[in-house]
Amino acid sequence: MSDYQLDDELRDALREVTNVAMGRAADLLARLLDTYVVLPIPVVNLLERSELNMALSSLRSVSSVSAVCQGFVGSRISGEALLIFNDTSFADIAELTSYSGDVTPEIELELLMDIANILIGACLKGLAEQLDLTFSQGQPVLLGQHVNIEDLVRNSSSGWQRALTVEIPYRLEGHSVDCDLLLLFTEDSINVLENKIHYLME
Amino acid sequence: MSIPVLICDDSSFARKQVKRALPPGWEVSVEFAGNGEEGLAAIREGKGEVVFLDLTMPVMDGYQVLETIKAEDLPSVVIVISGDIQPEAVSRVKKMGALEFIKKPVDQAQLTKVLSDFGLYAE
Repeated sequence: MSDYQLDDELRDALREVTNVAMGRAADLLARLLDTYVVLPIPVVNLLERSELNMALSSLRSVSSVSAVCQGFVGSRISGEALLIFNDTSFADIAELTSYSGDVTPEIELELLMDIANILIGACLKGLAEQLDLTFSQGQPVLLGQHVNIEDLVRNSSSGWQRALTVEIPYRLEGHSVDCDLLLLFTEDSINVLENKIHYLME
Repeated sequence: MSIPVLICDDSSFARKQVKRALPPGWEVSVEFAGNGEEGLAAIREGKGEVVFLDLTMPVMDGYQVLETIKAEDLPSVVIVISGDIQPEAVSRVKKMGALEFIKKPVDQAQLTKVLSDFGLYAE
């Protein structure tokens, strides 16, 4: 399995179903914040644990981030979703949600958790519906607040060595809000995903 | 006479989904394009009287295709099929001249209804 290559058909199909799922998630966020979410083309990769920071390309140059992680499992697939914010985003998000007080770390945490719930929930639901899967989600866990990307990657303690990664860098039009939603699927999940996608293609 | 239909999407998975959702028995000749630039080239060759257009694509996106079709008055009717279902995206493409917006994943019943509503297909 270690020399497994991601085939183009799987990569293309995953990109497409993710595109639809993240579109639904973005729609919810756009309605919540009354703004337009710029949708990127998702990036699909097969990565070693040591290469995880490479998957976070859009946040590579950012010095301080905050992140939440949420596991999911079901239909013989397991993985985790990471939502990572550039810390400079929170002032704008607070403004968009009409929050008028000081943006303390507690408020930042609340905003982070709220948005994680919306984006991760909608994205996983969208994927599950299209691929005819059922996921149950774990509790969201704070990975770190005001940390750098390297420390964040080191701290995410789950035991995988290699994973199928789908990176979705969201941006809000006209605001300095950057966040990355990263879906990680365990190596064992890849075959199951492949079968589901072949079934859809028939 | 079959109608020249163009399916413009960067994903081959999505292109196949759209092709499969076309009403059976609709007399068309289907052409594919993988981005906006290829799409416009096909349209200029007369291969896209009806265009099913994705929005998020590399090289040239769907918005730019709509702009060019309008600016050059190209003879195409465009139906946008996209995963970007934000109200803003829907109203933007309609303002830019798209006939209709259909959300992904495309559904045969809905696609057929849109085509008959606009007189492009009759059962």
